[in-house]
Amino acid sequence: MLNNDIIFNTIDNGIIILDENLNILAWNYWLEIRTNIKQNDILNKNICKEFDYINEKKLKRKVKSVLVTKNPSYYNVDPHHYLVNIKINSIIDKIYDSMQQDITIVPYDIEKKYVCLYIYDKTPLCKTNFKLEQLNVQLKDLSNRDPMTHAFNRRYFAEFSNKMLSLSRRNNQCVCMCIIDIDKFKNINDTYGHSVGDKVIILLAQKLEEYVRTSDIVARFGGEEFVIFLHNICLDSAKNIAEKIRKNIEELELDTSEGKLGFTVSIGVSEYDDKKDSNNIENTLKRADDSLYIAKNSGRNQVSRFEKS
Amino acid sequence: MKDQLTLNEDEVDCLQELMNISYGSATAAIAEIIDKFATLSIPNIKTVTVDEFKEYLKSKLDYGKSHYVTNQLINGTISGETMFIIDKDSTFNLGREYDLEEDELIEEELKDVVLETSNIITSTTISKFAELINASVTFSPPSIKILHSIEEFYEYFANEYSHIIIISTEIKFKDQNIHGELLILSKDDSILFMKNALNKLLDEF
Repeated sequence: MLNNDIIFNTIDNGIIILDENLNILAWNYWLEIRTNIKQNDILNKNICKEFDYINEKKLKRKVKSVLVTKNPSYYNVDPHHYLVNIKINSIIDKIYDSMQQDITIVPYDIEKKYVCLYIYDKTPLCKTNFKLEQLNVQLKDLSNRDPMTHAFNRRYFAEFSNKMLSLSRRNNQCVCMCIIDIDKFKNINDTYGHSVGDKVIILLAQKLEEYVRTSDIVARFGGEEFVIFLHNICLDSAKNIAEKIRKNIEELELDTSEGKLGFTVSIGVSEYDDKKDSNNIENTLKRADDSLYIAKNSGRNQVSRFEKS
Repeated sequence: MKDQLTLNEDEVDCLQELMNISYGSATAAIAEIIDKFATLSIPNIKTVTVDEFKEYLKSKLDYGKSHYVTNQLINGTISGETMFIIDKDSTFNLGREYDLEEDELIEEELKDVVLETSNIITSTTISKFAELINASVTFSPPSIKILHSIEEFYEYFANEYSHIIIISTEIKFKDQNIHGELLILSKDDSILFMKNALNKLLDEF
């Protein structure tokens, strides 16, 4: 007969055996070392009384699930983080204070209603996942945003606008576009230099983000041109928002070595039209661009909207 | 190979009958564990290609509604995986069925009840089904994700299948508006094993 006690006390997992009332019937060496609690000191004690942060209702339900289905039940690391709180003592790597654990609960003796809990240390995997997720967020941000202004780029705008258009069409909501272009930007560059020109573009991007709702997005389409996607807003309101933006920009001043610099923008506005645009936001953008052209030709520092026919 | 991996009408009927019996164990288990009465609809069975499967999921994970999606691997003679898809509103109602208080209806707790429901249905259904066709199975721990669009699903999708048997069923709880769908996805080798087992049963009766 093989001695299972050797496995029980040498395996690199925590093992607990519980009865249906959650009394501890076995507690292996792995747990003794990490919790500093000897098996003899914890035997026949209720696990939820010894560790009062354990949700008794939930653990009882899981034990019952194991005994009824005769199949494993789990305490996943994702929602729970741990069952038995084991502090991590690392001073160089401090993502988690406690060991991250996956718990598998399996039937041990169905007749006596005993279950066995296996505790797996998932901390290294969780750390790697955490770092990867952070990098992924940074990577997504880099691929979605214009590096100079941090406004969204054209690629992200296309992706976002198509999603939002589908949602808005299903909910019968209006969608509008504004194209914003800095007036006589070449003169700014020629007079003040390109670094001031860049500052003007960055300032405009920051202000546009402030003037719109979080549900709208601002994207830089290139050069001194920006586009705003306005969700759940019809043409009249979009025109009012554009007018407010134009006035606010008109009042802005940028400090330069040659004194204060003011600048203006022209804005073209259009509304998505199911008949004309047939689910293609590019057509809506084209009409906003045509309106921008009219605003520019009418003396600049103006808002022009594409009237519905 | 394609014909070998699709089920004929008799095989589908037989599989549907076996799954009906298997789901009976699942609803009985739910009733015993959480003391609530749930029903599982008659399973809808179809064999699809990977592209058709993606289209099928697209119709489930549409924009504007987030979904909790669990995934659990099945290992053994019938290997594959199960997916349990439940929308956010249904998840809140499921949490109430598990007697969670209003202040407990938070993401972590909701993930747990979805994982547990999915695990109970999967393990009881598949174990019973395996017993009926003389197969042996074990399960890996389930994982869960909250998806907001089909694109997010594609990020995780591993194309391991040429054909997929979708066995889908809806779970409904009495007095609560809960719609969850369990998909059982089977690998090619397992489809062949299942076909043989189904044909043996068909020959016997």
